[in-house]
Amino acid sequence: MILLLSFASSIGLYITKNRAFTSYVMASQGIIIFTYLLFMIFVSSPFLKLDFAPVNGADLNPLLQDPLLAIHPPIIFSGYVFYAVTFCYVIAGLFSGFSQQLFQHLKIWAGISWFTLSFGILLGSIWAYYELGWGGYWFWDPVENVSLMPWIAGTALTHSLVYSRDKLLLSWMVFLAILTFLLSVFGSFIVRSGILNSVHSFAADPSRGIFLLSIFAAFSLISFVLFIKNFAKMESAWPKLGSRNYLVVLNNIVLSGILLVVFIGTLYPILTEVIFSQKLSIGPDYFSQLISPLVLVLIALFTYEQFMSLSINTIFKLGGLLVVSAIFLFIILPANVYLNLIFCFVLLVALVIKAIYDFQQRKALIQPHKVLGHFSVTLMTLAIIFNHNFSERVDIRISPGDAIKVMNADIQFESIDIVAEQNFDSVKANFVVNENFTLTPEKRIYKVGGQITSETAVNSNIIKDYLIVLGDRFEDGSWSAAFSIKYGILIIWLSAGLLLVSMLYGTIRRT
Amino acid sequence: MKKTIVVLTAALLVALVWFFALSLNTPKISNVKTQEGKSLPSGFELIKLNGEKIEETELNEGMVLLNVWASWCITCLVEHRFLKELSNTYNIDVIGINYKDKLGDAIKYLDKNGDPYIYSIHDYDGKYALKLGVTGAPETFLLIDGEIVKHRVGEVNQQVWDEEFSHFF
Amino acid sequence: MKNLAIFFSIFFLGFFISAEQLYPGLDEQQLKRLNYLSDNIRCPKCSYGNISSSNAPISKDLKEEIAQMILANKTNDEIYDTMTERYGDYILLNDPEKRNPLIFLAPLIVLIISISVVTIYTIKKSK
Repeated sequence: MILLLSFASSIGLYITKNRAFTSYVMASQGIIIFTYLLFMIFVSSPFLKLDFAPVNGADLNPLLQDPLLAIHPPIIFSGYVFYAVTFCYVIAGLFSGFSQQLFQHLKIWAGISWFTLSFGILLGSIWAYYELGWGGYWFWDPVENVSLMPWIAGTALTHSLVYSRDKLLLSWMVFLAILTFLLSVFGSFIVRSGILNSVHSFAADPSRGIFLLSIFAAFSLISFVLFIKNFAKMESAWPKLGSRNYLVVLNNIVLSGILLVVFIGTLYPILTEVIFSQKLSIGPDYFSQLISPLVLVLIALFTYEQFMSLSINTIFKLGGLLVVSAIFLFIILPANVYLNLIFCFVLLVALVIKAIYDFQQRKALIQPHKVLGHFSVTLMTLAIIFNHNFSERVDIRISPGDAIKVMNADIQFESIDIVAEQNFDSVKANFVVNENFTLTPEKRIYKVGGQITSETAVNSNIIKDYLIVLGDRFEDGSWSAAFSIKYGILIIWLSAGLLLVSMLYGTIRRT
Repeated sequence: MKKTIVVLTAALLVALVWFFALSLNTPKISNVKTQEGKSLPSGFELIKLNGEKIEETELNEGMVLLNVWASWCITCLVEHRFLKELSNTYNIDVIGINYKDKLGDAIKYLDKNGDPYIYSIHDYDGKYALKLGVTGAPETFLLIDGEIVKHRVGEVNQQVWDEEFSHFF
Repeated sequence: MKNLAIFFSIFFLGFFISAEQLYPGLDEQQLKRLNYLSDNIRCPKCSYGNISSSNAPISKDLKEEIAQMILANKTNDEIYDTMTERYGDYILLNDPEKRNPLIFLAPLIVLIISISVVTIYTIKKSK
């Protein structure tokens, strides 16, 4: 298990540094490693053989024969491990007190963890978009949510570390670090115990579930007790109303709100199943309806933060200007453009203008990683809203040689080929879109397992993606195909990349 | 004030862990509701594999075991042997619903593997099975006088039969 | 490969119909409704995902059936009812009426309470 390896290496890395808190850090890491070692030996031994050996092997599920798929879970898992390291530093702080040096380490580790976890989640999204063929990048699937929960808590943690400069709200920061770690332990329980239905179905085994639950319970108990006992060590000041730190408090509250939504949305179906024996589903709408306004609030908060050094008067004037321009845009744009889109766009422009202005004034940006990070979040939100509201799809029935015009695109079905590959046979369809580019969706039949998979064909540009998924062949020789246009996908990947870069820069410059 | 918060948080944690322990021990409910208590859809013109027409009343009298199968379905082949045993040992009418199969493939399949069914309904487009609430093959329905008393999604074998079906006999 | 070749050998023999919507007879508004409904109905055979994104045969059948129901002037509620009647509540991804409104309100209430508590506390402290 990677968890073990990474722990070992992180200990090795830090064994040379001899600080007051190092021994506590190592002690807590030791305990965590020991627990997972127990888990590995007694419950999930990798050396057990299968009871019977399938002839030729059962063949790997074709969907899993993809490098992106193979690497995203280990990366997410490493993210969890790094958060465990972060957690160990916080526990060490509970024993030895929080020094500036400890904060330095905490910031670096929180940064590394956040970067790794986000990177893993992003890779998972990209894989889902290109490989699953559903044309989506986030499905609010329970296992996705489970990885998102520590991410949200970790994001709040990263922001709350800002207080450390003024020694504010220490207890809250500690609480968030513990929460992030517990949520990742909780995540491994949820995923591996098999109590959820998800695309990510793993080998489920009740004894494993019980063990993971006990680990979760034990860690919760220990950190809870430590937290209460050492509460006195975390005595700290409270931010002033309207100060920067107060905005960070608001940010943390809103992020916790988002966390709560994800938590409820993920666990409510389990609750009804266990208590009322009633199966129900919570779909994407629940999450998007509740979370999108909260994200807009966050964006408004950090945009305001950029401007708060100005005098109240200027802020009022600028705010007025923003509102007026938003209303103006709302009136002149076609009626099907949404208010949240305009809101997001105006804030994005405000952020950019402010950044350029600052740059001209000082020839450098203060905290460029923060500016870039907030900019990318706004850009990503903009792209997601855009994608959500404008993407279209249509199912068509078309014969080779025919053409059709749907959603303002000309689709020409040129030909269909049958190709034999090493481990699968495939049917490739050639579609020409807008007389401009060719899309070749495929259907594959794998030789060993006999599974049939569809390979989506995607053509991306910065505004929109064209996707075709090949369906079934009808008896008259025509085929069904799903044709969709998705907006802003590249911008989403791009802004996520920028976000990662900003976090990387913010972390590296501390070392 | 501080004490209440501590107690509340502790209680919440305990409740959470207790709840998950409970959920681990709860047997899983199948995702989709079974069709027990309902009757067969009506208004369909049902045809046997040999082309003969079937009267709906034939299915609505006495005990009938309806088994959804297809030649392309691998689990059905596994189940096939048990069905043959069943039709030999129990005095029960086993009727097949041939689901989304070409007629030739279906007949070839029965010739090769033996035919446990009194007859099979040829449901080429799967419309009848869809209305019946079938989500795939194999599925098995036990009918008593037209009422579905048992609906099994997935394979029926000796163990499943003993646990879920045999007490009706 | 051989099977596949046989499977597709009749491929160019069939007469071609011209390209069209997969669900004929639906106007643009009805197609939108079809997409909306099938986005909100879960594939009963799959572990996750709605019927519009799933490749399972049952999903296509259900989509077809929904298209027929739209053509027969059934309302969305009637279509949802037909689906839950057959497969249970689990099949609906978005079912605000039957769902507990508490799960919508709870996070919002917690959020509003915590923001006001923190703000009041901050104001008190600043004095």
